[in-house]
Amino acid sequence: MNTARRPAYAADAEHHRRDAPRYCPRCGCDLVGTGIAVEFWEGTNRVFHTWCAACRWTGDITPMTQMVGHEPEH
Amino acid sequence: MLTAEMNEELTRVGPGTPMGELLRRYWYPVAFTRELEDFPVTRTRLLGENFALFKTPNGRYGILPEACPHRKASLAYGVVEPDGLRCSYHGWMFDHSGTCLDQPAERDETNFRDRVRADAGAAQEMGGLVWAYIGPAPVPELPRFDVYVMDGVRDVGWAELPCSWLQIMENAVDPHHVEWLHGRYFEFIGRHQGFTAPASFGKKHEKVGFTAFEWGIIKRRVVEGASEEDDDWKIGHPLVFPYNMRVGGGGIEQMQIRVPIDDTTTRFMLYTTHAPDGGVFGDQPTVPDYEIPWRDDNGHHITNYVEGQDIMTWVSQGAIPDRTTEHLGRSDIGVTMLRRMFKEQMKIVADGGDPLGTVREPRERIDLPCEKNKFHAGAGFALDFMSMGSTCFSPQLEELKRLHIDAAARVQPQAAAS
Repeated sequence: MNTARRPAYAADAEHHRRDAPRYCPRCGCDLVGTGIAVEFWEGTNRVFHTWCAACRWTGDITPMTQMVGHEPEH
Repeated sequence: MLTAEMNEELTRVGPGTPMGELLRRYWYPVAFTRELEDFPVTRTRLLGENFALFKTPNGRYGILPEACPHRKASLAYGVVEPDGLRCSYHGWMFDHSGTCLDQPAERDETNFRDRVRADAGAAQEMGGLVWAYIGPAPVPELPRFDVYVMDGVRDVGWAELPCSWLQIMENAVDPHHVEWLHGRYFEFIGRHQGFTAPASFGKKHEKVGFTAFEWGIIKRRVVEGASEEDDDWKIGHPLVFPYNMRVGGGGIEQMQIRVPIDDTTTRFMLYTTHAPDGGVFGDQPTVPDYEIPWRDDNGHHITNYVEGQDIMTWVSQGAIPDRTTEHLGRSDIGVTMLRRMFKEQMKIVADGGDPLGTVREPRERIDLPCEKNKFHAGAGFALDFMSMGSTCFSPQLEELKRLHIDAAARVQPQAAAS
């Protein structure tokens, strides 16, 4: 049995590397190594605050697994 | 959360790294002027490189890489002469610009001397500190921020910390930590050690905001009982890019300085000018400085004062925190914004431009926005600041308290009469 402990939060680091945006949503330039994507969490959302060095676009990118709507009271 | 590569890029400050190239576009305090009055040459370390800092008899400062271009002996043990610094090993002599003036053992008719240069930086004095610039030409103007040039009584605490300067800067855009680290935790420590923590630090943050401006990021907060009309929001106080934070209130004006000595060492300095309304300021031929204790004899952090609490968090994060496994929330958007700003400014430098806050025209004084009525706490803030902050270690603590009390006594009758 492998009893070696994994580093704390290793899975979250893996998910970050897998899911951080790689290309600018505006100009399509490579973000890896030139731009930046800082991940923060808000409720159940993972938000990537992103800046593109090529076109200087700045914005938050939030991956989604389902669309959730609200129905007004009636 | 960041990738390991991004964390590496943001925290490496040596020559040739993107962050190192950005940081080399700024001036840094590298010594107290009193040090070079005691002895005219000293060793200093900045951005992962070692230097010899010297002052010639005409009062001019110079900075050269520590290793002599000849055989790499330390110029910090050189001989200061009227025209520059002479290596003690074989007598090679360099002026303030790095020009080699003398190679005593070489024959005069060769041009060897002209083929050797030391990669000199620039150095000058301001506010009792010696400042150095080690980046590429043209040398920018030394920014004359208000706290260094205003009238008042100066007091400088400092500590050398075993951690990256970046996590300390991230703390500067993290308003929420105040109510917990300097509020709840302070109250907890006080309860166990038998003192009363200042209530003003523990006020709940209702709202925080960050605004980019010409010198960095203005940090704003609304604490409970206050509104957007109060100083903490309307004026706020700035992170002065890339390594300072300007704070103040109640007649205290302070620059918190975080000099990146290397990747994992930071010189933390609290440069304070006490300038209360109604204050009477005498001459200070030498700016007093003192080392702030942050560990006790058992190696435990000293956390019964404000900056000791900050230092505990910075150092305990690790020499360079693992940002691949952190978990930022919405309350950390200031940290997020700062990281983006560093990347933006690295790009500007890579493209050959001047980064944020570069001064190209001489300016007598640069005033920074800073709230006066801190934490909506009124005049009591100054006394809390001194008793419960690092000023409690100042050799001139009692004089400083007296300065503020006397100033308030002068101003209050006038206010009552008007």
